[in-house]
Amino acid sequence: MNPAGRAVAVDFVEDEFEEIGYPETLPTYSPHMDESAAARRRLGKGRPDGAEEKVWFDDEDDFKAPSVRTFSGGRPAQLALPPPTTLREFLSQNMPSIPPLVYTLLACYTRFHRIGLSPTVVWDEAHFGKFASHYLKREFYFDVHPPLGKMLVGLAGLLSGYNGGFDFKSGVDYPPEVPYVAMRVMLATFGVGMVPLGWFTAIELGMTQWAAHLVALMVLFDVGWLCISRFILLDSMLLFFTFLAVFCLSKFHNQQAHPFDFDWWAWLAMTGISIGLVTSVKMVGLFVTALVGFYTLEDLWNKFGDLRLSTKEQAKHWGARILCLIILPILVFMATFKIHFMILNHSGPGDAQMSSLFQANLHGNDFHNNPLEIAIGSKVTIKNMAFGGGLLHSHVQTYPTGSNQQQVTCYHYKDENNEFWFWPAWDQKDTVWDPKYGSHDPSDEELRFLKHHDVVRLVHVPTTRNIHSHPIPAPITKANWEVSAYGNATIGDVQDNWVVEVLGDVVRGDVNRYLDPKSSTVDSRARIHALTTRLRFRHQVLGCYLSAGRTSLPQWGFKQIEVTCAKEEEGSKPAEGSIWNVESHWNTRLPPAARSLSRSPFITDFIHLNIAMMTSNNALIPDPDKEDLLASKPWEWPFLSVGLRMCGWGDQQIKYYLMGNPIIWWGGSISLIVATFVALGLVVRRQRYGGGKGARKPAPNSLNGDSGKNGAALVARPGDGLTQREWAQFWHVTKIAGGGWVLHYLPFLIMGRVTYIHHYLPTLYFAVLMFAHLLDYFVFQVPSTPSANPHTVPTSGVSLSDINSIPKMIRTFRALPRMTRIKLYVFSLTTSAIVGTFWWFRAVAWGMEGPVRNTWGLAWRENWNIYH
Amino acid sequence: MASTGKLRQRVPVSARPNFEYDRIQEEEHTDDVFQNPNKRHPIEKILETDNASVVVVAVLTALAFALRFYKINHPDQVVFDEVHFGKFASYYILGEYYFDVHPPFAKLLFGLAGWFSGFDGHFQFENIGDSYTQNHVPYVGMRALPAILGSLTVPVVYAIMKQSGYSTVIAAFSAAIILFDNAHIAQSRLILLDATLIFFMSLTIYAYVRFQKLRYREFTTEWFSWLFATGFFMACTWGSKVNGVLTVATIGVAVLIDLWGILDYKRSPSMDYFWKHFAARAIGLIVIPFTIYLSFFWVHFALLPTSGTGDSFMSPAFQETLAGNEMLLSAQEIRYYDTVTMRHKDSKVYLHSHVERYPLKYDDGRISSQGQQVTGYAHADENNNWQIIPTKALPETGRGRIVRHNDMIQLLHVNTNTVLLTHDVASPLMPTNQEFTTWPRDDTSRFNETLFQLSLIDAHDGEAWKSKSGYFRLVHGQTRVSMWTHSKQLPEWAFRQQEINGNKNPSEKTATWFVEDIIADETGQDPKERTGHQPPKVPKKMNFFRKFGELQLLMLQHNAGLTASHPYASGPLNWPFLIAGISFWTENDPQKQIYLIGNLVGWWTCVVALSIYVGILGADLLSRRRNSNPIPAPVRNRLWNSAGFFFVVWAVHYAPFFLMNRQLFIHHYLASHLASALIAGAVLQFILSETINHPISVEAPTIRRHKRQYADIGLKGPIIFVLFSIAMFSMFVFLAPLTYGTPGLTGDQVNSKRLLSSWTLHFAAKKTAEVVQ
Repeated sequence: MNPAGRAVAVDFVEDEFEEIGYPETLPTYSPHMDESAAARRRLGKGRPDGAEEKVWFDDEDDFKAPSVRTFSGGRPAQLALPPPTTLREFLSQNMPSIPPLVYTLLACYTRFHRIGLSPTVVWDEAHFGKFASHYLKREFYFDVHPPLGKMLVGLAGLLSGYNGGFDFKSGVDYPPEVPYVAMRVMLATFGVGMVPLGWFTAIELGMTQWAAHLVALMVLFDVGWLCISRFILLDSMLLFFTFLAVFCLSKFHNQQAHPFDFDWWAWLAMTGISIGLVTSVKMVGLFVTALVGFYTLEDLWNKFGDLRLSTKEQAKHWGARILCLIILPILVFMATFKIHFMILNHSGPGDAQMSSLFQANLHGNDFHNNPLEIAIGSKVTIKNMAFGGGLLHSHVQTYPTGSNQQQVTCYHYKDENNEFWFWPAWDQKDTVWDPKYGSHDPSDEELRFLKHHDVVRLVHVPTTRNIHSHPIPAPITKANWEVSAYGNATIGDVQDNWVVEVLGDVVRGDVNRYLDPKSSTVDSRARIHALTTRLRFRHQVLGCYLSAGRTSLPQWGFKQIEVTCAKEEEGSKPAEGSIWNVESHWNTRLPPAARSLSRSPFITDFIHLNIAMMTSNNALIPDPDKEDLLASKPWEWPFLSVGLRMCGWGDQQIKYYLMGNPIIWWGGSISLIVATFVALGLVVRRQRYGGGKGARKPAPNSLNGDSGKNGAALVARPGDGLTQREWAQFWHVTKIAGGGWVLHYLPFLIMGRVTYIHHYLPTLYFAVLMFAHLLDYFVFQVPSTPSANPHTVPTSGVSLSDINSIPKMIRTFRALPRMTRIKLYVFSLTTSAIVGTFWWFRAVAWGMEGPVRNTWGLAWRENWNIYH
Repeated sequence: MASTGKLRQRVPVSARPNFEYDRIQEEEHTDDVFQNPNKRHPIEKILETDNASVVVVAVLTALAFALRFYKINHPDQVVFDEVHFGKFASYYILGEYYFDVHPPFAKLLFGLAGWFSGFDGHFQFENIGDSYTQNHVPYVGMRALPAILGSLTVPVVYAIMKQSGYSTVIAAFSAAIILFDNAHIAQSRLILLDATLIFFMSLTIYAYVRFQKLRYREFTTEWFSWLFATGFFMACTWGSKVNGVLTVATIGVAVLIDLWGILDYKRSPSMDYFWKHFAARAIGLIVIPFTIYLSFFWVHFALLPTSGTGDSFMSPAFQETLAGNEMLLSAQEIRYYDTVTMRHKDSKVYLHSHVERYPLKYDDGRISSQGQQVTGYAHADENNNWQIIPTKALPETGRGRIVRHNDMIQLLHVNTNTVLLTHDVASPLMPTNQEFTTWPRDDTSRFNETLFQLSLIDAHDGEAWKSKSGYFRLVHGQTRVSMWTHSKQLPEWAFRQQEINGNKNPSEKTATWFVEDIIADETGQDPKERTGHQPPKVPKKMNFFRKFGELQLLMLQHNAGLTASHPYASGPLNWPFLIAGISFWTENDPQKQIYLIGNLVGWWTCVVALSIYVGILGADLLSRRRNSNPIPAPVRNRLWNSAGFFFVVWAVHYAPFFLMNRQLFIHHYLASHLASALIAGAVLQFILSETINHPISVEAPTIRRHKRQYADIGLKGPIIFVLFSIAMFSMFVFLAPLTYGTPGLTGDQVNSKRLLSSWTLHFAAKKTAEVVQ
């Protein structure tokens, strides 16, 4: 063993590194600079503006993780340009701003063109328009999506002068007072924003200008993205913020060489904010959050292995990530809910989703007219106090399993099936409610207030059945007993009896302390109050507690929440799901009690609403009994096997068909497959041959030691043909595009809920990036060596005068290096295919007028139900 | 040592001779450990001798046999899934074709065991609790097979650990976790597949470890022998139960990691060398196992030549290969104007109609057409007869009169002279489906609504419609609904017969029907005469590979279809912690029961060991990232490579269950539990000592000799082992009444055995409920 062996590893000799001198002459901007020669081969060998910071290329990557100080892909550092002195210089310096500007203008055209053509409520405008109305009327509503997107829709309505009076029935014509065109235009602006973001993201990812053009063109000309952006929907915002998050992430990545600079902080914070925004529009935003998360984990893992970083620096890196990528997005997310609650301060259709205390504080809520203290004979609704809990409910439908008796569920909307009477237990025959009298008028009886340990029956008002439990396993949660509604006013048994247990009061604390077991009268302070007293109902016979979990019943139970009688270990803490409070309370013999209740804290409402959203999202599972024509399966998306009719298909209607530009979708999906093989091939080659072009230097003979016969082979070890920088560039983009695609696609395969083709639209972005990236890797990044043609015109010297006549143009073209010509071929072919198919399919997004059979040749695949 | 390949490491050893670099790494720290063999504890010295090892393994094996054969004749009743697997054994003896989701190897062994012990196959294992003794079934012989395999698993576990370089005590420790485990014992004392699965799975691991140890002697006879042995045992595992495919995946993962290392330039300077390795593994681990797997099926088909319960699962072509199959005997081409009876494939009801009409108004307020009822009826009846009426011109005689695929037909109900019709009226039970009724034949006003397209399943154009074998869907010409039925009964007004309705999906899988019989031809003659007398039909031949492919596909489909909820099914997350078991069998009178539950001490030890293992690996990764190497290299390599392999075994046998939607049971964890026992041994070794037996691979003459060291666990090891075994044994004895199903327990005893509140034991005494008033 060579004793010096260990020392060699750190013995870097200065002159192993190429010194990059400060450029002698500063070039003015030339568009060719961004091309292969510049982007691929020349840059990345050092920081032109800082001499002390060197990039270390690591030869020994078999034993070491790649050094973090190497460039890891992304956009190469740009030289600062001198101030322009002539107009020509100014123009040439500002050339890079021209393409995104042109694309943005084109995007305005495609997005806004004939946007008001269909004067009817198209597709999900029915939902999101309605939510906007709720914001404008400030009525509390409930929906599974977070509020930001819908608030922006509401804002668009507000800005365009909509008064919130329209109820957005699907397919109905807009009345004249609804400024739907203005609203659509405002939301389509997000769709316009996608295009420049696509361009700049490509640039930041270190792609060549060719590839950036392709990305921008694909974003501009995909009919799916176009179509979805033109209506009052959340998708344009979701897409915009997703694009923004990817853009910010790539921007941040390019600041990695200068940690803790202002730009570094700014883009890190922007990344955090944008993932907060995208998640506040739809929960799908969590996928792009996961992408950022994985990127950050890898980044921190690399930093963790960088022994040159001090502990303090490490901690700063971690702290910055936690602050900007965890705390900041959560704050953004919570802020949207705070605003949501602030705007929606009137009672509305979503009340019942929230806790009773929250509802009591909404304007227009009638709880304050209710009597305060609950008595036997009161008619009430009973609310589960767990986060996301609903109202105790029963309906005439019966369980298909177990006892086959009437269902008892938890329901999140107000209706009269939620109403129950507190009646005395069956064995309390001393009261007038003895069933044999058949009369339940309590007016001639002394008022008896409910208290701790009273035994009552809960009688369902519309069906007069008693809430009942018995030792039959519950339909879903088999470990608990089933709760059903059974009997009527005269039929019943002791299994209908429930013991009321008071746990305390939200306002008054432990009220049971006023109970005197010796005294027969009830201290008025121990009475049960509507809204605030926390109750439990213990089954007198079985000893289990009336509980609601978060499990939804199947279709036969209308996806309502399962109610069971939960067995409880002695002495354990009361389960959240078994605690209830009285919500509405009617009793003609008691006076209404005006009272003002303190607000429930924001954080409680926030958690409550989120859990409610989650629960109803989970209930959105496909119904096997019902065939949903609109729904599609995730594996039908990448190759565009299906489309979606967004509205009625009558001859007189304006028809929109949600599909994609086939070239873009198919190309993206194919490139993902190709990329898998390319990546695999690169990894295998690296494993076989080690990394870096010519990276392995001949080992000195003295070190070859006793493994002499293999030493010779070692020296000749071939590299994998990629420089460190090219390798890093390839992987950076592949990880962002491929990882983003996988993270946006796989969850749909796993989750059980109904899926539609528009769920693929954010995913598509990553396929598009991969498409451009692969073309970039295989074609556009390949250096153009000057052709052997004797008539060579220097490429950099191509000027307007060379192409001002067609023969001259042809001559100039033929004189271009071969690779440049191939690039031009590939680029023009791809571009024309994209633009051509867009033009072919433009009507599906711009609206098809008249009978659909008049437009010919749209059904490229059998399953596209455009015609039949 | 089972080196599963090199892990990318961050040790700065740049200018070393790189050849054999991974071997050198193993040596890196050997200088640090100076060991004097004379200082070893005498007991340990004795234990590490070969003779001691033989004694230990003999004792373990004897104990294993004792524990698994103890009262193996109890209960003398059919227990749990013996219902299935016992039945399958009897089918092998009788030669009747059956269908099951699992591959046949383990069931073939049971058939063999039954045949060997004199079982004649007459007993059908119909219900849990059926008596064996009354029916004279030699069940002990059949149960002995899994018991033997289950007992032999214990020495195999010992051998795996020993071969992987762990001390005798450590190997015995791992073996004891299996030896005293109530779940393994309960599972291997009954006619169930798992004992076979686990036994061959452990043998696969053992063979692969032996194969890896020979890696410096590549391409020798020994090396090939162990490679092929791995493949052989792997095929046996896979052939025993569907889950065995996870063992195949485990070896696949290990081989990929291994090949990945070989791919490195430093290991194989020429690509030929790599391809040689690749080819050897492809033959040993793909070609050979697959051939063996196929041969199981070949034997399976060869042993089951006659028709049996599995017929109806298979395609008509397959069924015609089985002797005595109805389809083979009476499949006949159907001609127009034949009178036939038709049955639904899944529920076996006849298409039926009778003069009674649908009530005008149903209970839920919907209105019917009040047409004649069309129902599904389970019994043979005149009213099941339908005549096939053509809608096209027919030739006078000849084959032109045969009904063919895609023909448009009318069905005439013979007794009422009405034709079948469906229309856009909701069916009695399902508002989404169309009502089926009939219409007088003479009234042509609704002719178009009486036309049905005959769509044969998997048929080519112009294929003739045959009785028995011609599965078909009847698709309504106008509304494109398919005639369908489901198990719901109509109310009393239709005599509780099954509802027939039109399913909106024209290609609905469950809307499949077949013609049961041709009652009469056009002239009222028995049609059997019309093709003249035929010799008795011989079973047709079918290519083995087509048979295999069909069966394999069906197995997959049915396995995925096992989604019905089961009271003892449990989620994968519960398994390692023993949250819930399975009630196999109960007997009321003496309050006996068999409850499948593991040994709490053993299982929780395994869980703790797994978490320690993951913790060590995580800590090692983090510290190496910071360039400090707290663990000596040989120990570290043992942890990563040997225990790492066990961890892969554990993870691959466990993680996929999280993605499965089918019903899952705790016995699906047994394979992973075995792997976790191996990990527990490795972790114990790591905790006890900073040293390891090294090297353990078979050295080749061309390789530089390694510095030797040995695991020095002193007296701590034996003491811990003895204490642990006592704890294991006590817990085992405590739970034994649930494992062996004897003796009976009083309610309070049951309560005391219920160590976790989630165990659902029978006969528990009621806790006296306190009444609060």
